[in-house]
Amino acid sequence: MNYFEVFGLPRLLSLDLKALEKTFHELSRKYHPDYFTTAPAEERQRALQMTAALNDAYRTLKHPVRRVEHLLEIEGFKPDGSKVPKSFLMEVFEINEQLEEVKAGSASKEQIAALRREIQERAQSFDQQLQLAADEWDKVSASGPANPTDEQKKRQLSRLTEILSESSYIRNLQRELEETS
Amino acid sequence: MPRIVGIDLGTTNSLVAIIENGTPRVIPGADGNNLVPSVVYFEEGGNVLVGNPARAKMIEKPKNTIFSIKRFMGKGLADVRDDLALLPFEVAPSSDSILRLKIFGREYTPPQISSFILRELKRNAEAALGEEIVNAVITVPAYFNDAQRQATKDAGRIAGLDVLRIVNEPTAASLAYGLQERRQGIIAVYDFGGGTFDISILKLSEGIFEVLSTNGDTHLGGDDIDEQLIRFVLADLKLTENTPALPAIRAAARKTKEDLSSAETAELAVETLAYRRPITRAEFDELIDPIVERTLKSCRLALQDAGLQPNSVDEVVMVGGSTRIPLVRSRVQAVFGRVPHTDLNPDEVVALGAAVQADILAGGKRDMLLLDVTPLSLGIETMGGVMSKIIPRNSTIPASASERFTTFVDGQTNVKVHVLQGERELVQDCRSLAQFDLKGIPPMPAGLPLIEVKFLIDADGILSVSAQEQRTGQYQSVAVKPTYGLTDDEVERMILDSFEHAETDIEAREVIEARNEAERVLRATAKSLERTEFSQLPEEEQDGITMAADHLRDAVKVPDHRAIREATERLDQATHHLAEIIMNATIAEKLKDKRVREVE
Repeated sequence: MNYFEVFGLPRLLSLDLKALEKTFHELSRKYHPDYFTTAPAEERQRALQMTAALNDAYRTLKHPVRRVEHLLEIEGFKPDGSKVPKSFLMEVFEINEQLEEVKAGSASKEQIAALRREIQERAQSFDQQLQLAADEWDKVSASGPANPTDEQKKRQLSRLTEILSESSYIRNLQRELEETS
Repeated sequence: MPRIVGIDLGTTNSLVAIIENGTPRVIPGADGNNLVPSVVYFEEGGNVLVGNPARAKMIEKPKNTIFSIKRFMGKGLADVRDDLALLPFEVAPSSDSILRLKIFGREYTPPQISSFILRELKRNAEAALGEEIVNAVITVPAYFNDAQRQATKDAGRIAGLDVLRIVNEPTAASLAYGLQERRQGIIAVYDFGGGTFDISILKLSEGIFEVLSTNGDTHLGGDDIDEQLIRFVLADLKLTENTPALPAIRAAARKTKEDLSSAETAELAVETLAYRRPITRAEFDELIDPIVERTLKSCRLALQDAGLQPNSVDEVVMVGGSTRIPLVRSRVQAVFGRVPHTDLNPDEVVALGAAVQADILAGGKRDMLLLDVTPLSLGIETMGGVMSKIIPRNSTIPASASERFTTFVDGQTNVKVHVLQGERELVQDCRSLAQFDLKGIPPMPAGLPLIEVKFLIDADGILSVSAQEQRTGQYQSVAVKPTYGLTDDEVERMILDSFEHAETDIEAREVIEARNEAERVLRATAKSLERTEFSQLPEEEQDGITMAADHLRDAVKVPDHRAIREATERLDQATHHLAEIIMNATIAEKLKDKRVREVE
């Protein structure tokens, strides 16, 4: 299912969250099962399906990373871990070693704070890269040449895939650190 | 649309409410109290008492007076072993993934026991409204999992109710609050009840009540605070959990806890043990501090999940009896940096909100809409015992997700799916929800079949599953066996049982009453047979009386209340004339006595 379509939106990554929420509330008032309690079973079932789809779409689109993941999915792209550059993997490996120390309880408070800072900086850098790549996608799809070539589209989608794959490592490290400390 | 009532099925108390002229109100029980204690007393012979009359039996008949049954809803024996240590109930040996209590040789699951409470509320509503009630909205703690929600729905069905919606308690409270205060903005509902704790963060805008996040503990409430005090007394007296004085100690603990909500010092007194000990609020606060701290941790997590700082919350609404505790109020105030709103009656606001939701469902209020969330992530077991999340916690419900499955072996026709709820990485740390087999997959080389399984969480927060093989378009039969729940067949059987139970109850009571009446008439007849007036009656009439009496003596031997009443009636008729004569004679004698005395 294309969640952009549920909201009547084009496949663009920059979204007005306030407008998205407004449409979400309007559509909820239209389809919510609460308003179909007395309706025949078929209509009740339809209300349930419609609202579930609406909620799934809203949950996905309002979240910047899930939104990109969804775009890749409907464009037929899969995040591919094998493409992650070696140098990046080495960095992740290093951070992971420090994390193991934290887990073992042998890290000082200062070390933990420094690690948290480092991971956070990397996460922020990925957020920025994702934002840039998302803007590029929008430019190519919407305001670029009248008909973006498949080649141009593909290049942008690959770039988004790369960023998501790499940032997922950092996000996992971040979550692990929060769970340990 | 027939009327829909709102029910708060609480750990300690339960209430039923309706909307009248746009305003919710609680319907009191037969004794005039709005709160019906969630206590069920089983009499030998099958009679059942609910509410205050049952509560009065707690100390005297601890084994067959069941309270706090809500804590066992949707739970297996292993989950509740610790609780049972402090409870006097007898657990049936057949308990496994569903707890069963044994009472006078019969086994009862928690939904069955809860159904007695629901039936009482149903009766109260029917008596007050003069109509049959079949539709209800029932509230549950927001943090209840799938099995606990399903168990609540089952209880409703067993009680003869069509449960149109399961609503989360803090959300229901927000509806009642929103209706009254007409506020907009971010509110936090802190709901600390008898057995459970919930925190929900909501955004209120133009009649839409959108839950942003929820957190809690379905095993944290006033009962745990009582337990702290109970253990304190046990340690003081060097008694073990097995002491027969436990029910009396529990009653004393509750009283002391309540006293300390307004007084700085109170006395812990157990009369039967000749135990008296003053306790200060400071001592009490120290005892319960770890419990209160756990609720605050949930508050912080809920804020984090909502992506909010404590100071972005416009109002904190307090719900549940345990929010009367001063330490709870002051600590909540410290976390959110504002004085919590305590104007609503913390015992009634959830039931009132349930009535508001019932009114929305009945088509009464179209301007209000509740958008609630699922409290726990839904996932499936993947390779290596890892839980893969498919619907994250705090997703607005209804919510759905699809997952594709395939085969690992050529010609494989079955695929096993294990559904879980929880936040942890490993399957063993999550709550097993159900297992099912995808059956009848067309035999194909391994990895070729594509079965799309759709998981749907409905507006009650309850899961359903459907599956379709993508290549053939064939729908698969998915019979989900709940891990901690009753199957449909079991619920059906319990519904039948409850009818039988109810009918035999009434039948038995009728027989007892008819026999009592018969005995009374027979005793009176025996007395009058000794009087001279009897021997003065025509022989025909004398025979008539003795025959009717013999007939009644035979009738009472058979437990048929209609036959007994009929025979009683006949004897009454037969002795009618005699009774009149005796009555006149007695009056005459009395008057004679009086005259004699007057003369003297």
